[in-house]
Amino acid sequence: MDPRKIIICRCEEVTLADVLEAIEKGYTDLESLKRYLRIGMGPCQGTHCIPIVLRILRRATGKNPEELMLPTSRPPLHPVQAKYFMGGDKD
Amino acid sequence: MRYDVVVIGAGINGVYTTLELLDRGIKKIAIIEENYPGSGGTFRCATGIRASFTSREHVVLMKRSIEKWKELSKRFSFPFIQGGYVWLLSREEHLRNFKEYVRFHHSLGVPTRIVEPDKIKELVPTIKTDGLVAGVHDPIAGKSNPFTALLNVLEYLKKSGVEVRYPEKAEKIIVENREAKSVLTEKERIDAETILVAAGYGSRGILSTCGVDAPINNLPKHAMITEKYREVFKPLLVDWETASYMVQTVSGGFLIGAELEEEYNKPPMNRIEFLYTAVRIWSKYFDWFPSTHIIRYWTGYYVMTPDHHPILGPVKDVEGLYVSTGFSGHGFMIAPAASEAIAEWIVRGKPGIREAENLTIDRFKEGKLIHEIAVFG
Repeated sequence: MDPRKIIICRCEEVTLADVLEAIEKGYTDLESLKRYLRIGMGPCQGTHCIPIVLRILRRATGKNPEELMLPTSRPPLHPVQAKYFMGGDKD
Repeated sequence: MRYDVVVIGAGINGVYTTLELLDRGIKKIAIIEENYPGSGGTFRCATGIRASFTSREHVVLMKRSIEKWKELSKRFSFPFIQGGYVWLLSREEHLRNFKEYVRFHHSLGVPTRIVEPDKIKELVPTIKTDGLVAGVHDPIAGKSNPFTALLNVLEYLKKSGVEVRYPEKAEKIIVENREAKSVLTEKERIDAETILVAAGYGSRGILSTCGVDAPINNLPKHAMITEKYREVFKPLLVDWETASYMVQTVSGGFLIGAELEEEYNKPPMNRIEFLYTAVRIWSKYFDWFPSTHIIRYWTGYYVMTPDHHPILGPVKDVEGLYVSTGFSGHGFMIAPAASEAIAEWIVRGKPGIREAENLTIDRFKEGKLIHEIAVFG
């Protein structure tokens, strides 16, 4: 299948071709790939795309998972509407 | 292998200084980065760029920076949007202070101005101005994208033969006869004509290995961003009462920073009250804000110096050792000008911009501190 038609990150519309091209350019760790392609920066926060990119990157570089620099997970786990932080007793 | 320059730290200042050195004909350069490029302050920053400061040093350097942001963004195809800053003032006493700042800005050619609430509404569509006495508009300020601003330049550096080594920790600077000789990393000894320490708070530790004391401290900071939305307004907003800021980033998310009480050099922790504080402040200004989706909350640091101004330039007692750190929350915006100054210093012995000479590390020993009244968010 055409790598330009395989979507890896749906939030930021990144294709397999984009990922392979970035790896070719030297983006061979997840932290750098994240900033370069914005994978993992959309509403899913990487829960869908990062594991897929991790596998692609492992195959392409032969590196161990620890060397691939898994991005830090940040809260919230899922997008939360701002209105839930307006009231309540948390000051 | 012996290098002309070894740069410790691949944040925006290490990377841009390397670019300025290359542009001046220095070719054998290595950058050593402990984590990954941009991993400190650069990739966590608020993306804002302005020259409306309250010290001559900051204003002059930041004005130069804005000129350079225009050039660099064209040369390396990343965005620089001159959408301005707007400070939102809710107290008469703040307005009085700002009138003074504005006079100071004008004296140095920065065209800020006090604006009425109606004008704020023009500059910031959909904002509610209830409770505001006035605003301050800085029309030459702007914002960029820290990811492409760093990575596009880094790609160029690599193509030009710069060795970018990461992750590799620099552990010691070796000085012989008061001359900087080498950097000892966890992997090997790297010899260099000149060593530049541009490692954020990490600069403190690495400089101490050669007896240089950098009085910098890490102040934890908090930021959040919403999902992307179409462009609502261009300026970066500062709610002066709470020192909180909000900017719609170039990518479209609303990025907010707000103050929480923090202790120096403590590892930053996520604190739920940050989200409450941020949402309460900005929901007063925008009716639509409560229905946006928060997607990410992260922490970072301001690397603070005692006078909230950077440490730039050579170290008097150690020949060939230069420092670029302690930006106190403004390292991203000042990077083009600070990097140009450091490169000029290394190549020609003077920083080009005279005011940079006031920012060397020796000012702390000599008691020549600089005062900056306004550090935002």
